[in-house]
Amino acid sequence: MIAGPTIRFEEIAQKAGLRFECKNAAAGRFHQVELMGAGVAVLDYNNDGCMDVYFTNGAALPSLRKTSPAFQNRLFRNNCDLTFTDVTAEAGLSGEGYSMAAAAGDFDNDGFTDLFVAGVNRNSLYRNLGNGRFVEMPASAGLSGHHWSISAGWLDYDNDGYLDLFVSNYVYWNAATEPRCGTAEQQFYCHPGAYTGLPNQLFHNNHDGTFTDVSERSGIAKSIGKGMGVAFADMDGDGFTDIFVANDSVRNFLFHNQGDGTFAEVGLESGVALRDDGNPIAGMGTDFRDFDNDGRPDLIISGMINDSFLLFRNLGEKGFEDRGGSSGLLMATRQYTGWGLGMFDLDNDGWKDLFFALAHFNQLDRYLGRDSALANRVFRNRAGRSFEDVSAFAGAAFQLPAYNRGVAFADFDNDGRVDAIVSVLNGPAKLFRNLTPATFHWLGVKLTGTHSNRQGLGARITLQLPDGRTLYNHATTSVGYASSSEPIVRFGMGENQMAKRMEIHWPGGRVQELLDIPADRVVEVKQK
Amino acid sequence: MMIWAAMLLVAAAQSPGTPAYERASALFQKRNLPASQAAVDEALSLDPRLVPALTLKAKLAMAAKRFDIARTVLEQALAIEPTAAYPQFLYGLQFYLSNELQPALTQFRKARELNPSDARAAQYLGLTMESLGQPIEALTQYEQAAKLNPKNTDILLTGARLLLSLNRLPESAQWIDQSLQFDPKSRDAHFEKARLLLRRGDLAHAAEQGELALHLPAGDTLDSQIHYLLIRAYRDSDPAAAARHAESLR
Repeated sequence: MIAGPTIRFEEIAQKAGLRFECKNAAAGRFHQVELMGAGVAVLDYNNDGCMDVYFTNGAALPSLRKTSPAFQNRLFRNNCDLTFTDVTAEAGLSGEGYSMAAAAGDFDNDGFTDLFVAGVNRNSLYRNLGNGRFVEMPASAGLSGHHWSISAGWLDYDNDGYLDLFVSNYVYWNAATEPRCGTAEQQFYCHPGAYTGLPNQLFHNNHDGTFTDVSERSGIAKSIGKGMGVAFADMDGDGFTDIFVANDSVRNFLFHNQGDGTFAEVGLESGVALRDDGNPIAGMGTDFRDFDNDGRPDLIISGMINDSFLLFRNLGEKGFEDRGGSSGLLMATRQYTGWGLGMFDLDNDGWKDLFFALAHFNQLDRYLGRDSALANRVFRNRAGRSFEDVSAFAGAAFQLPAYNRGVAFADFDNDGRVDAIVSVLNGPAKLFRNLTPATFHWLGVKLTGTHSNRQGLGARITLQLPDGRTLYNHATTSVGYASSSEPIVRFGMGENQMAKRMEIHWPGGRVQELLDIPADRVVEVKQK
Repeated sequence: MMIWAAMLLVAAAQSPGTPAYERASALFQKRNLPASQAAVDEALSLDPRLVPALTLKAKLAMAAKRFDIARTVLEQALAIEPTAAYPQFLYGLQFYLSNELQPALTQFRKARELNPSDARAAQYLGLTMESLGQPIEALTQYEQAAKLNPKNTDILLTGARLLLSLNRLPESAQWIDQSLQFDPKSRDAHFEKARLLLRRGDLAHAAEQGELALHLPAGDTLDSQIHYLLIRAYRDSDPAAAARHAESLR
């Protein structure tokens, strides 16, 4: 094992001009929607090569209207010098309703990244016009929604070259009929068990700016859960993208793509539905990536205090094994309530690390006997065998508690180190600039699909290094909770200054090979 | 526990509320909670300072998940008799069950000081420590609890679960086997054994232990937990059996 540099971040949101607070409109009435939200998306909306940021925001309650500018969603343009400018008004993205999540993807293959915003009983699709402006697609596009949606993500489930949309729905919610919980003297937020769960939704892209709800036809709607984070990966290498949904307090769903437009829910059979002891956790965020470099995407899921976060290792045909205990994560995360997360190689040593956005539920202080706000945590991957909490050495920002929620990942300053943007409930958003000593080399892969979807989402990439290691990753923007990360596929390469061979498995089956790729750059690959 | 029950009875013996309290206590043992509640209220109307009756009233409140009432009543009892160990333990317990861990920790520590031979206080102090992210300290408490009451399978399994979480499999196995020695028909112990075997990759024996657990009388372990274990244990060797167990969870 190569000893890596100390993972270190500096929080620079204020300095960078990223001034945003997600307002949840909590006013002592304990509406469940107040607990969630604060999603964030990273996208390069103007194709200038620098990743921009979009925050979702709350609304007045119980009206669910954005009655004040404080409730507006916000788009910040990256000025390519690590400063940002609020361009919400000119982009037309201030939004409406109580927004939760944002999912970035180029649904019409025009080369400009579009935005889907999920919310409480209202969803919106914004088409990027390519001139700095977005336009909300009409309800006839088929995505307006009427459920409380928490997360969403773009994937091409049928490999037809156009991105489809998966929406993770939480519970039936109506302010007028919401249950009252707590004691006679002290009201509190209800347990999710007090609410009726919902099916998730899958929308097929009709290639003409409209979508068809195929939730029933595909089998997705058969499973009723309380959906939170959603992540995509081709778990069995069959060329079709599979879907994982972290559920709150009920079993998780793993939808296996059967390649014929239908999905089979195999969470139980695969061993990822529940914790090792057979109990559900309050699943929150999730990522579906390969932590042990064996070529198979694994699963990480955050949960609530005393749940412990879950880590499942993909064994191929034998399903998944629970690696929470042996990796050290089970005990190390037991005291945390996690929301957004991501499995990214933060020190570029060739092993993907973990970043968790944490906070207990607001007003849990009196039960815990301590502050319910939490500082975020970062765990270093120790050669695919275990994870080590290195937050104590990761910078002052990892000691500052907040009501952290969504987190999205991108290299905002194009220095080859993955940064993180965190949205905070009723507090300033945080931009964690990665300042880990640049000891190791890296490679980014920006895909342009021609037969496949324009962003190449779903493409699997293997990278062979001169030191004999093979690394694996895939293109996805759906990471964590309510959030969307950059589409660039990143690799930390350790001491290797070049990759011997890169193999790209495009959605649909085409394989493309590149040889002798120099490190420390973003390689643009157009599908042949 | 026996000593404390005897002490409570002695304390109650001098009081005009004693006959009603004794009736309430007997009804509580028979799980006739409404009648027990009426009798204990009668006892307290005759003697509001009767600590055993206050303690029983708290237990009744906790059974009804009215931890707010239990808290108030136990505070009254402890104000009257600050060194009463059993009310002190219950005071900690109601905090623990309300998920108020810091006060639970403080109160269980007091309960341990008041009665160092109470294994249950050590066990719950350990559980609280475990929930607060102090696994090593928790394990020490479980070890002390097991020394005080070596045949208590609940304590042994509590320790075994923590050791499993810490990936200390050989020690966990010892605690589980010890538990099975004292209670060979414990569903919970067989389930924990099955989990341990599954973790070790011994799927055949994990399935065997899981099936055994499933057919034993109910304990803390739910059928659903065992079904999930059996799905994983049978996944490779008997997919049809795995599917059957999956279906029972759907």
